[in-house]
Amino acid sequence: MECRETQTLLSAFHDGELPAADRARVEDHLRGCPECAALLADLARVDRAAGVPDPGPAYWDRFNARVMDRVARGADGPGVRVLRPKGGWMREQLRYLVPAAVAAALVVVIVHYGRMRPGTPTPAIPPAVSAPAAPDSAGERMAKAEPESDGQGLPGAGAGGDATGSVAPARAKKGESAAPARHVPPPVPARKQIAAVTREERDRLADRSLPAGNGEASRDRAAAPAPVGTPTPPSTFRAAPAGSPPVTAADGMTQESPAERKKMERAAAPMAEPQVAGKTTSASGMGIAQEPSTGSPCELARTLAERERMRDAEAAQRACLAGDLDGPSREKGLVFLAELLDRQARFPEADAVIAEVEKQYPQSRPLDLYRRQRPMVQKEPTAVPVTR
Amino acid sequence: MGADLEEAKDERLAALAAEGDRGAFEALVTRHRQAVYRLCWSATGNAADADDAAQETFVRVYRSLPSYDAARPFGPWLRKIAWNCGLTVRRDGKAGVPRIAEGDAPEAVDPAPGPEEAAAGNEERRRMEDALAALPAELRMVMVLRAVEGLSYAEIALAAGIPPGTVMSRLSRARTRLLETLGGGS
Repeated sequence: MECRETQTLLSAFHDGELPAADRARVEDHLRGCPECAALLADLARVDRAAGVPDPGPAYWDRFNARVMDRVARGADGPGVRVLRPKGGWMREQLRYLVPAAVAAALVVVIVHYGRMRPGTPTPAIPPAVSAPAAPDSAGERMAKAEPESDGQGLPGAGAGGDATGSVAPARAKKGESAAPARHVPPPVPARKQIAAVTREERDRLADRSLPAGNGEASRDRAAAPAPVGTPTPPSTFRAAPAGSPPVTAADGMTQESPAERKKMERAAAPMAEPQVAGKTTSASGMGIAQEPSTGSPCELARTLAERERMRDAEAAQRACLAGDLDGPSREKGLVFLAELLDRQARFPEADAVIAEVEKQYPQSRPLDLYRRQRPMVQKEPTAVPVTR
Repeated sequence: MGADLEEAKDERLAALAAEGDRGAFEALVTRHRQAVYRLCWSATGNAADADDAAQETFVRVYRSLPSYDAARPFGPWLRKIAWNCGLTVRRDGKAGVPRIAEGDAPEAVDPAPGPEEAAAGNEERRRMEDALAALPAELRMVMVLRAVEGLSYAEIALAAGIPPGTVMSRLSRARTRLLETLGGGS
């Protein structure tokens, strides 16, 4: 072997990456060639000297905080957040079933009162209800339960605080809807509220209602939001008590418990920032616009889904998927579509979409995440409001 | 939990981070920040751009976690993102486009010498750093990944998206040029 050929192989020889045959030839040559042997020693010297200038400990001390700051400012979590039961199925189910059932019972009671007083222009809440005459009222129970549901940051329950950890706005929002509940609602709007409850909704709510005591005493809460004109959508029983199953999502992230969220905030400190203007967080933790977006159908779909307008959301999501999406976005989009179908109780269609995801994206992580929650979504299909 | 995170494998941490565990994500940052910085430096050739690119790398990693397949090794995936970020920052710089993380005011990276600066071999190291910075990025990258990070040719090929044979030839060229620089000064 010539020196020239040896030297072209010397670098790989030094790295131990030469095939055995070449290696043996180079070794033979090196035994008889001090010049090439010296060159090999120089290569080792180069490697020892090679180094990237280290920016120093002061730089590394701040590095993580700067990264976490930027991550926190992104606020959307890894990709798009997802809600996933962290406290186990039973706890998760109770968390939304109890408030949903209470709200359902309230509506039933309101309807009942409406029928009992046909001549009354207003189904005004009797003093017995708004006064503290019912110490064990569901209203009080709800009040006690609020911290937990706050912490879980469900959509209609003012989950806006989740992304940035600002819980205060969420509580304030709750306060808006809870406070009027303790007063007699204005007559006419209350009437409208009853009228807005469709037969289907009543039936569904009745199925979920708790024993009569709860519903009887807590009707004020159900009656309150719509009459006072809070921005709560008509399907208040889903939106307010987090009727929406805390599940969504196709893409990724667990909704943190309050304790976990605080932990993360600490980790992200000192860069906790106010929530991005014009954005909030949906049940699935997805960043969504406060108003239905006029932008891409993909954004619109999420906005509509957050407002429980599942059919519209489905249409928007299909439009989104018809667009030019990259692989991961399409994958997540399809899973989200499956979820929208599930939430309309259109399970066979959802199955078909899921089958397509499986086919196109083997071992899809978004699908895997969604599957863990799917039984819950199927149990609790979103009410598709008829009066839209 | 902290100790658990420190001991957990990258893939496990990535899965936790994808589920929203920022502690797990920060553990990944701590574990890989220096390697990422070095790779970004090898792509950009200067500290300020390397800083931009390293920061951007982790932000992108965080956003991309849902698409990361935990069944596949985390290291190559991370290096690919870091290298792409490095090249992006470099391109942006060349095009006169404001660099990534403009608002972040990249750290005034402290070039102050460490205590070992006085050591005899340090001058050679400094000259080597200058020589490395002067290399074309594609040569610098393979050199850093091999000599600094200790990756195999196959791993470098994966990170750089080039065949192993190209890794071998680029490394040979890089070392030859560095040796010329080093030899000229000694």
